[in-house]
Amino acid sequence: MSEAPVLTPSQFIDITNQTMEAAFPSAMIVGEVASFKTSQGKWVFFDLKDESASVSCFLPIWNLRMPLEDGMKVVVVGVPKLTKWGRFSVTVSAVKPVGEGSLKKAYEMLKKKLTAEGLFDASKKRPLPENLARLGVISSTGAAGYADFIKILNARWGGIRVSVAHTQVQGMDAPDQIIRALNYFNERGEVEVIAILRGGGSADDLSAFNDEKLVRAIAASKIPVITGVGHEVDESLADLAADVRASTPSNAAEMLTKGREFERRKIQTAVNGIGRDLLSRVATMHEMNVAKMRKVSQGLTAKYIEPMEREVQSKVFQISQSLINKYIEPMERKVNEMVRGVTEKTQNGYERGLLDVRQKIKMLEMLNPEKVLKQGYAILSGKISPGNAIKITTFTHEVAAEVKEVRNRQ
Amino acid sequence: MTETKQNLNDKITELDNQVEWFYSDEFQLDKAVEKYKSALSLAKEIEKDLSELKNEIEVLTEDFSK
Repeated sequence: MSEAPVLTPSQFIDITNQTMEAAFPSAMIVGEVASFKTSQGKWVFFDLKDESASVSCFLPIWNLRMPLEDGMKVVVVGVPKLTKWGRFSVTVSAVKPVGEGSLKKAYEMLKKKLTAEGLFDASKKRPLPENLARLGVISSTGAAGYADFIKILNARWGGIRVSVAHTQVQGMDAPDQIIRALNYFNERGEVEVIAILRGGGSADDLSAFNDEKLVRAIAASKIPVITGVGHEVDESLADLAADVRASTPSNAAEMLTKGREFERRKIQTAVNGIGRDLLSRVATMHEMNVAKMRKVSQGLTAKYIEPMEREVQSKVFQISQSLINKYIEPMERKVNEMVRGVTEKTQNGYERGLLDVRQKIKMLEMLNPEKVLKQGYAILSGKISPGNAIKITTFTHEVAAEVKEVRNRQ
Repeated sequence: MTETKQNLNDKITELDNQVEWFYSDEFQLDKAVEKYKSALSLAKEIEKDLSELKNEIEVLTEDFSK
């Protein structure tokens, strides 16, 4: 039996650490967080415990990818170490919440923090290019979500050069791999859009997309990012940080492409539209030409015809006036004179005749027997000889009488 | 493939320009029939390209796990 080596405390600690590292190159421990605290803004300390035991954990703050607090259930990946003060702890390289409650809690805490920083501001969102020619895809090439994406992409559009970065899309290594792929595309600057894709899964499967470093890397990407992660109901912080969020990988393919059918219909509509428009324009131009001709004709009429017409009318008037003055008026005067002469003569004769007639009427009136009778005279009718019957007429009576005697008056 | 896509985008842009001409101040009736025929022919070419075009998919050889 060999003697135990004599070691200094430092040597003992070093050997112990080497031994533990050989036994546990990377231990994965699940437990509940207790006594969580940060120090100097650089270090994180907490205990990981179960019902009967507890182990101290330590990690640099930049390795803390999701917020933690006491009571959360987490899984840590780390190396057991004996510190130089002889205290045992696990140096954590990765930690993430597990279980629905803890994941939700961590999600809400990180969302609140990043929202306050303005990481998800709508004003930072960039649109997708209209005619996509170069696309970067970050996904697991074996995943169903990736296959769906490629299928829809090929069905909808062609001619896109797609560069695919194969990464894990779940598990503790996934965020770092996705970040490396993001950096790869950003450093080269060859693609116009980066699509981060993953099909549906449990909250734990999708928790990689709530990793703080990944969310920040997406928000900082110089190239616009579209995410198609999980299903419609799954909202990750990566979705919130991306420029465009698709509900699924298939939906991402739809959003990135216009669609052959859409483009065909658009082209047909445009060409049919100009055909119809052409006919309409011909009709309109015809109407316009007719209107122009009408206007020109109206202009010509106003400019030449109407003045000419007025001049002709004026000349005709002048000529007729001069004819009237020269011939008609003298003739009219002559005729008037003649008429007046005739009228005067006629009138004089008429007046004389009228006087004559009136005198004759007066004479006749005086000879009227009735007038004589009225003056008291009587008319004898019958043969005036003795014994004959005669009729005596007065103004008022007729008398039958007999002649008794006839004597001469002279 | 990308060159073809570029050509397709160029053709679509060209068609858009040709269609736009009909609604612009540059429109001239005596040139319209010729332009219409040209647009129709280009539209048919684009439809053909749309049916035939395929995407080029390349899986990068880079290892992102390290």
